[in-house]
Amino acid sequence: MKKDSMLKKITGSREALLALILILLFIVVTGFNSSFLTPSSLQQLIKNNAVTMVMALGMLCVMLVGGIDISIMSTLALSGMAIGMLLKYGHISGTILPFVITMAIGTVCGLVVGLVVSRVDVPPIIATMGFMYIYRAMGYLISNGGEWASASALGSFSDFATSSFLGINCVIWIVIVCYAFFFWFMKWTRTGRKIYAVGSNPEAADVSGINVRNIKLLAFTIMGLLAGLGGALQVGIYASAMPNMQKGGEMDVIAACVIGGVSMSGGRGSVIGTLLGSLILATIVKALPLIGIDSLAQNTFKGVLILVVVVVNVILQRISDRNALKGREM
Amino acid sequence: MSEYVLELKGITKIFPGVKALNNVQFQLLPGEVHALMGENGAGKSTFIKVITGVHKAEEGEIFLDGEKVDFKGPKDAQEAGIAAVYQHPTSYPDLTVAENIFMGHEIVKNHMIQWGAMNAEANKLLQKLDADFDAKAEMGTLSVAQQQMVEIAKAISTNARIIILDEPTASLTRAESEKLYKLVDQLKEDGVSIIFISHRFEDMYRLASRVTVFRDSQYIGTYPVDGITNADLIKAMVGREITTMYPKPKVEIGDEVLRIEHFSMPGYFKDVSFNVRAGEILGMTGLVGAGRTEVVEAVCGITQVEEGKVYLNREEIHIRKPIDAMKKGIILLPEDRQKEGLIMSWGLGRNVTLPIMGKYAKRGLNDNKKEREVSRDLLESVDTKAVDIFQPASSLSGGNQQKVVVAKALGQEMKVVIMDEPTKGVDVGAKAEIYAIMGDLAKQGYAIILISSEMPEILGMADRIFVMCNGRKTGELMREEATQEIILDLSMEKASGKEAR
Amino acid sequence: MAGKSGRTINNIPENPVRKMIFSWEGILFLLLIAINIFCSMYSEFYNISSLLRQMPVYLAEVFLMLGMAFILVMGEIDISVGSIVCLSATLACLSSNAGLPFPAVFLVSLLVGTACGIVNALILTNFQELPPMIVTLSTQIIFRGLAEIILGSGGSVSVSNTAGFRAIAGKVGQVPYILFLVLILAVIYAVVLGKSTFGRSVYAIGTNRTTAYYSGIPVQKIRFVIYTLMGTLCGVCAMFLISNSYGANTTTGENFEMDAIAMAVFGGIMSTGGRGNIAGGVISAIIIVCLRVGLGQRNVNAQVILLIIGLLLICTVGLPNLVKNMRQTRKVKKN
Repeated sequence: MKKDSMLKKITGSREALLALILILLFIVVTGFNSSFLTPSSLQQLIKNNAVTMVMALGMLCVMLVGGIDISIMSTLALSGMAIGMLLKYGHISGTILPFVITMAIGTVCGLVVGLVVSRVDVPPIIATMGFMYIYRAMGYLISNGGEWASASALGSFSDFATSSFLGINCVIWIVIVCYAFFFWFMKWTRTGRKIYAVGSNPEAADVSGINVRNIKLLAFTIMGLLAGLGGALQVGIYASAMPNMQKGGEMDVIAACVIGGVSMSGGRGSVIGTLLGSLILATIVKALPLIGIDSLAQNTFKGVLILVVVVVNVILQRISDRNALKGREM
Repeated sequence: MSEYVLELKGITKIFPGVKALNNVQFQLLPGEVHALMGENGAGKSTFIKVITGVHKAEEGEIFLDGEKVDFKGPKDAQEAGIAAVYQHPTSYPDLTVAENIFMGHEIVKNHMIQWGAMNAEANKLLQKLDADFDAKAEMGTLSVAQQQMVEIAKAISTNARIIILDEPTASLTRAESEKLYKLVDQLKEDGVSIIFISHRFEDMYRLASRVTVFRDSQYIGTYPVDGITNADLIKAMVGREITTMYPKPKVEIGDEVLRIEHFSMPGYFKDVSFNVRAGEILGMTGLVGAGRTEVVEAVCGITQVEEGKVYLNREEIHIRKPIDAMKKGIILLPEDRQKEGLIMSWGLGRNVTLPIMGKYAKRGLNDNKKEREVSRDLLESVDTKAVDIFQPASSLSGGNQQKVVVAKALGQEMKVVIMDEPTKGVDVGAKAEIYAIMGDLAKQGYAIILISSEMPEILGMADRIFVMCNGRKTGELMREEATQEIILDLSMEKASGKEAR
Repeated sequence: MAGKSGRTINNIPENPVRKMIFSWEGILFLLLIAINIFCSMYSEFYNISSLLRQMPVYLAEVFLMLGMAFILVMGEIDISVGSIVCLSATLACLSSNAGLPFPAVFLVSLLVGTACGIVNALILTNFQELPPMIVTLSTQIIFRGLAEIILGSGGSVSVSNTAGFRAIAGKVGQVPYILFLVLILAVIYAVVLGKSTFGRSVYAIGTNRTTAYYSGIPVQKIRFVIYTLMGTLCGVCAMFLISNSYGANTTTGENFEMDAIAMAVFGGIMSTGGRGNIAGGVISAIIIVCLRVGLGQRNVNAQVILLIIGLLLICTVGLPNLVKNMRQTRKVKKN
């Protein structure tokens, strides 16, 4: 009896299923290329996907309240470009200050999006589509119409991306801290649970006295903050800042969330799922060339993967609904 | 200190176009179970929402323990110790039971939610309620009865002094209802005051000490339950002798028009068969959730059955989509006017012509002039109280909206007319008009299926009564042999059925 | 046939002229005039003939706006259109280079577009639970991904036989063919959406899908047709794009979905469904085209134009809501 329920728990839990898929993926990829499962290779994998992984946490919040944000990579470019130009022209230096600046810019960007969505009731897709243009254009404008900030212009800023702490790359530490914080925040704080409540049933949340608008505003602001952080990471990891950074990258972030089981209609999704989703996506992208699929086919594969995940979800839901109905006594 | 825990005086609530509450009053004694009764649309639900702070009344005063209060929102009412359990649980389907119970007043220590303590506390509450599920279960996976139990647990967990139960037994089996009765008794002993809304007289006799009746948005009276009879109550609720309300014409009943055989859809209904003849009104009744709406929706192609056959004029027909049924003349007037029957933001004319616009269109293009004429004629034929055909459907009262739904059906070629709860939320005057239209249709030789939960309506209008319970047909009665008691008995779970297991 | 009480119901509509002037389309029309005055003051080269000469580049996107209008009125969204344009353009260029005659190339483009539209339509009608947003998001990645695979490592292709493309880029006097085609299609689409029973059904679906279904409207069939036609229009758009650049690359049609949605929404076609008409969409599209030509003549960065479009988009949807919200708060305060 006990064992049976344990088994059911594992197969019934989305996270367990995703972990299983990830392990299988690791095994398969290692079979093709034995150097894949080495610490340095794994570190590289996470480092290369750090931006997506961190921003997926913000997207988790936004999607939990039933929204979507496609302006994030423009926010990233704007904040990243801002520090790129400031560093290039010697207005600032060091590591901490640029981080603070990007996160401040990101927060403001997210706050504005959140205000437009929550206070003016513009549908999230329309609002963030508009801000995708606006922030990207602002990024271009502050770059004096397309200037780059190259590695030499950044000075010592991007050193953090190559230095390690306790044998682990600093970028990975940032990812770990973010995930640890959000794991705590979403599961153990009242605010975190309110985000779930608003997405799960906005009317009920309103009736039980939760300020739905403020929670939505908070979700978009968190997204902006993390997009700003992503800007600093992007500039650091690739040691350059350019106004068209990560164009189209929001799809990767959304894909990571969707694969990780975050529902588009809100209320469902977890930090662990998001982590596993983004790792699965990263592993697959890395594995494609290894198993002989041209890297040109990467995007197609990604798209098909998202589609398959959402369609399989619907089919599974239909089956479980049907079984639930069949089980009803009459 | 007042003798009442809760007192409301002169409450008036106006919605666009309707007076939902008109100068009503209410008094609740400490530790009493007070039943609130009235027909659908009498204003009970609105009244509850005023008490819980969801709606703000235009006029009137609320007193708690003799002190005047002013609820700005639901939160104020909650803090004052008022909790409501609604007919359709308003829960968070994606969260666990424990979270649902403690939403808004989580157990927190150092800004951290104490999951262990919360689950333990929730389980303690659930045990007290004799629940058969765990606090860690996901809310969405529970049955309606179980979800209701969670809502009650939530009310208890906030230490509410006043708990409002809005038709809690409507979707429960007899065994589950019995459990709820015991729970209410227990709450009463703990000194909680309870307002109990129900359509079942049985609930009232078993639980309540006093009963207040609303009718047509107005307060009718408060009576002690001891010594009151069904007849007294019905008179108070309906306000007149039943017979005058239902102008059932004598109609020569013709040939069979529609026959349904062995209709089954897993989880909704099983092996349902019936037929209806020309000029006949077949009443379909049973408790909410018995599967009546689901059966007729399957007949009309809204959903698909797993098994079963449909015969029209003794010939088998196959219906896959709503349009198939409409082409054959099987017309459904859906239960939910605002979500299924009408497009509320559209003008009346466009609403009426929506299913028939293809008929008078010229080469696919809409004929506006013809549309205006057709829609006006149809709307006038059912005597809709409207100024012009361009005003939005939302500007009409419930009864007139229903007339628009009828007009929409009249424009089509009909053989069988299926009316699903046509008088739900309709005021008494308009009700009589709708019954008159129904009678006319029967006289013209259409076969009519009337779905209703209102016993007097079924008894007053139907030639033959078909009773369903829990997805099955439990009986069929002729008009002459039907009484309220027999129908109620057929609608209820039988001891030999579910309870025995 | 008056009712029993003899009550009559008025069925004569208001004077349509008055209604027209105070509508969103009326405001847009005034805005169009204002924008043209502004542009001619801002740029000394801005006049009818320079506008006609430079507009074809931007007009191709108006095709997409027409299809998008139907989808938005239905309360849905298709963000894969830019990628469909890319895939159609790619295959049209390749088939042209393979020696196919021009009409066949045109057909290839239309067929590819239609096929992509059918893919969207099939998924969306068979899995109605899925939000169009996520489905078209993934097909957006897939269609462009396919173009990337086909184009190979070079990432671009140019047509060697440009005769046919040059022909469709031709003019009658000063007016380019594409403007005629856009206007003809716009009129057809306006009539279908505004006057036909099909169009009425689309509005019904966008306003209340359940009631539409209960009233016998074939909701899924209509969705299928609309998404498929959207694909076909992408094929048309692709051909005119090639007639301008004589080639295709992996970024062809990028952000076109955003432009198409922006034009439609700015034209008063709300993304929440059931509102707006083609006339508004076309006027707003022309405003945006004029703005682009005018600002482009003074070498204003394309990004600035995008910024303006983004602001227009948010303001069109946001301002009316803001005014409504403020009115409501004032009302509540009064009470």
